[in-house]
Amino acid sequence: MIGAIMKQLFPPPPKFYGVMGIYYYVDDAAQTVTALRQAGHKDLRVFSPVPHHEIEEALEQGPSIVRWVTFTGGLLGATGGFALCWYTIYTWPMVIGGKELYSIPPFTILGYESMILLAGLSNLLGMLALARLPEIKPAAPYDPRFQEDRIGIWVPCPPDATARVEQTMKGQGAEEVQVHA
Amino acid sequence: MTGTLTPPAPPAPRAVAHHSGDPEKRPITQASLNDDVLKLISLPGKIWWAAFLFDLTVLAVALGAVRNIIMHGWGVSAFMRPVMWAVDITNFVFWVGIAHCGTLVSAVLFLFRSHFRRAVYRIAEAMTVFGVLTAAMFPAIHTGRPWFDYWLFPYPNQRGIWTNVRSPLEWDVFAVNTYLTISSIFFLVGLIPDIAAVRDRAKHPIMKLLYTLLSFGWSGANYQWKHFYGAYLFFAALATPLVFSVHSVVSWDFAMAQVPGWHSTLFAPYFVAGAIFSGVALVINLLIPIRKAFHLEHIVTTEHMEKLSKLVLLTSTMVGYSYLNEFFMAWFGSNKAEADVFWFRATGHYWWAFWTMFSCNVIFPLLLWFKSFRRNMVALFILCIFVNVGMWFERFVIIVTSLTRAFNPANWFYYRMSITEVALIVGSFAWFFMFFLVFVRVLPAFSIAEIKETLPVPRRRDER
Repeated sequence: MIGAIMKQLFPPPPKFYGVMGIYYYVDDAAQTVTALRQAGHKDLRVFSPVPHHEIEEALEQGPSIVRWVTFTGGLLGATGGFALCWYTIYTWPMVIGGKELYSIPPFTILGYESMILLAGLSNLLGMLALARLPEIKPAAPYDPRFQEDRIGIWVPCPPDATARVEQTMKGQGAEEVQVHA
Repeated sequence: MTGTLTPPAPPAPRAVAHHSGDPEKRPITQASLNDDVLKLISLPGKIWWAAFLFDLTVLAVALGAVRNIIMHGWGVSAFMRPVMWAVDITNFVFWVGIAHCGTLVSAVLFLFRSHFRRAVYRIAEAMTVFGVLTAAMFPAIHTGRPWFDYWLFPYPNQRGIWTNVRSPLEWDVFAVNTYLTISSIFFLVGLIPDIAAVRDRAKHPIMKLLYTLLSFGWSGANYQWKHFYGAYLFFAALATPLVFSVHSVVSWDFAMAQVPGWHSTLFAPYFVAGAIFSGVALVINLLIPIRKAFHLEHIVTTEHMEKLSKLVLLTSTMVGYSYLNEFFMAWFGSNKAEADVFWFRATGHYWWAFWTMFSCNVIFPLLLWFKSFRRNMVALFILCIFVNVGMWFERFVIIVTSLTRAFNPANWFYYRMSITEVALIVGSFAWFFMFFLVFVRVLPAFSIAEIKETLPVPRRRDER
């Protein structure tokens, strides 16, 4: 039963074409990324147990754009919170102590909480979408050592280019090179 | 491109030999950290089962009390005018306070780049989520008819009635639910990379399926890390003002009322400091047995515990200042009812509750000025229990002494707690620990990814 669910949810990984290099040293991995990018392999994937600045720089990764998704969510939340207060107070007018219906201080609290709530939810959804999560269908071969202490560099390439990539990886100190052809 | 062939890296040592008698000096490598943290996720032993079954038994008794309240009404407890809030709202404020420490440790200290948080924040975050879940139960039960609790939320209905958005109780609905949502997301998102490590080791197909779903198929790819940390920073930035706003809003449940002893502008900072005080104390209470039971002294060191205990000391002085300030203002101000309530607090029927609170929260924590005390785990554990007893009594004193001694002497009353309320208090701890005991055995209780970032990065050039 569980096996059937697993098969439906997580089908066997597709056939990959490329080279996977496994590294222990971070500087070796960063140099390999630089060398491979210079050789024209731009669509690299680097797997690691923690992010490393050296590798991010070698990949020339810019900052995440999730901040704009979060900002939009926050703006909508604040607007929605204030609008809710404004709408409900006039739709169901409840005069208390002869005071004005429209009252900025309490509305600010609700607007503020709504802003945080929507910004947080947008942040989550933005992160999941941009990081391509949940990743049901793997985009590259995976090795459990990437969650422990090894770094993996996956270079998708046609079978005739694998030898050159393999040589580059070995030349830069790869601990292990797996060719998927 | 070809390069000079460099020799392959030597295999990294998996488990490092323990060469020193001091467990805190045990070296950590990236791989050994996985082993150390993930060993908690195993089939639990007899002690865990005994604790869990005891916890469920206590919870069952408390649920019996809740059943009586719902079936027979609040009359089965000692709640009556004018003390309608009594233990329920005491418990609510206490558990919301407990819940504040997690986000403080995980978000505020993250923004301040305090690296000691990495070893302790997961426990604190779990405590936050379970604390809010516990707190949220009390207003829900307190309404008397919990099946109508959805009336608390603004929703379109045929009668055209809307919630009163100018009421502090409605602010609470928004604040506490936002806090529960954001702190749960923050907790679960932080877990994703670590759950992937658990997934890779899971053997049982059901556990493998569960962890695969919870890890969202995380592989540690560069684009995942990029957006993960991009978002994590914003979660921290959003959660930080939330920490301060939520307990401020909770304090305004009191401060917006005219009741003597409540109507004070001091309440927001006073409540926030108190919340952090009790929360950090409970984190210490949770961490000390876990690090001892699972031999994790090299991950959560005495240094970490000492830093947490300094936070307890700092917030204790803030709470102490607030207590004294309240008395000063009652004496200095011209409000006779206010002065009477504060005199009553210290010398009236509930003097024992007041002095328990004052001793546990202000006098006993003075021991933390001594370094030797801060580094003694047994002493620290006992002190933190006293702190939480004191903080529960703080909320009791604020609520009960003010309500029993409000403006009209004809309404003065002596409130005595009933067995139903005792069951609710004990049951709230059982409810909290039920979640916590399961959490420790099912999810990584320490952040593997973040602790790894504090370890030296293996570089070939450093080894040449």
